[in-house]
Amino acid sequence: MLMVCAGTTMSAQTLDISSGGQPTITGALGGSVTGSASVQSDLVVTINFGEVSPANTNSVVKVVVPVAVRSLVPYRVSVSLAGLGNANPQGLQSSDIGFGVANMRAMGNQSQICTQSSHIFYPPFNNDPASTATIAANGRVAYQSSFSNIAGATVILSGPRLQKTPNLTRQQTDGYIFDAIFTITPQYFAAGTTSATLTFTISAGPIVPC
Amino acid sequence: MNTKTTRVITRALLFPTLLLVFAVSASAQAQLTGTVNMSATVSKFVEINSGGAITLTGNSGGGVTTDGVANNPLAAQINLGELGPSNTNSFVTASVPLKLRSNANYVLSMNATVTSSGSTANKIGSADVGFGLGTVTRVGTGVNTAGTDTNATSGDPTLAGNGSVNAVSGRYEYTAANSNLSAFSASTTAMNGARIMNAVPRTNTNGLAVPAIFSVKPQFFEDGSTTVAVTFTVTAP
Repeated sequence: MLMVCAGTTMSAQTLDISSGGQPTITGALGGSVTGSASVQSDLVVTINFGEVSPANTNSVVKVVVPVAVRSLVPYRVSVSLAGLGNANPQGLQSSDIGFGVANMRAMGNQSQICTQSSHIFYPPFNNDPASTATIAANGRVAYQSSFSNIAGATVILSGPRLQKTPNLTRQQTDGYIFDAIFTITPQYFAAGTTSATLTFTISAGPIVPC
Repeated sequence: MNTKTTRVITRALLFPTLLLVFAVSASAQAQLTGTVNMSATVSKFVEINSGGAITLTGNSGGGVTTDGVANNPLAAQINLGELGPSNTNSFVTASVPLKLRSNANYVLSMNATVTSSGSTANKIGSADVGFGLGTVTRVGTGVNTAGTDTNATSGDPTLAGNGSVNAVSGRYEYTAANSNLSAFSASTTAMNGARIMNAVPRTNTNGLAVPAIFSVKPQFFEDGSTTVAVTFTVTAP
């Protein structure tokens, strides 16, 4: 019984994903984003992009969600998507929601600095979709990476261990933070409402030296 | 069971129990997943703008006072000039390009008022001002070219089939359906159709183009001045 308890404890502390700070939204008309500003809180974010018809005259609605990750072993972060099933091709599609990851940074002095391996954002997600958006031949906005690039559990990030020492609870300085960036360009989409859920999962990753 | 034995058992049970509580507490701090829930709204959207410069023909004097500027709000002002018999042209015609855009089915309505300074039945009235919507075009990248439109007017009011001289009164009359402004004294549908734009940004300047054509046949109208005020409204029912 003692050994089982110890095993459970070790496993739970090895990998962790949480809020990386206060999410922000810009360019929204009637939109909002809610989530904890504390890096010690779970990652539970709700984004309302608001109005994304041409009534929103901003060039893009952009949401930046900081995500904190902690691990004692090499890790990978994957995402999976649920929702978004608009049968009307002129409605909001998965390809209309830009999604990228960027800006990996250490949280503080308990973050593990590895010199032999890098934290790698996987293409095509290694971009700020607000900066890489283009107009396709049909006139619709296209992104380097969007929700249409997510199929099942799709790896977006991996790297070496993230924290120096085990901690029983999340600290403010013991991991790394990256930005998950979401964008929608207001367009003449077919009228309606759309919802989706993106789940981030951290797991043991490829073995790489630190 | 003696007292000593009972204490040993109690300690033995207490220790793992404490560890179990500790383990559960640590587990609650680590999460392998996080979620981002998203929603967005697309409301019906329609707009009408100028489709470009106005064309005025057959006028004697007058001119376009405030011209249309493509893709800008429509706020044109036209002086039709002389409409008495001294103007020997068959019609004074103003063609006002309109541009419509929508992400839903639309209805274009028009409301017109005609006010003349004269005091007799020979003054210019709303029935003396011909009106019609010309050829509708859906062209360009991002335009729903497969969409269809229903023009409730009879087109160019100067077409021979849309009017003639009344055999009894001798006055020229626009006789076709919705071919003069008397049909639009209240807000009345001039055209409707399917969604105009595909999913493209508003910076795309294409759209549905249609000219609104106004005409007056110079005649022996009672002398005076006339003001015609026309308001176009597009809605998405």
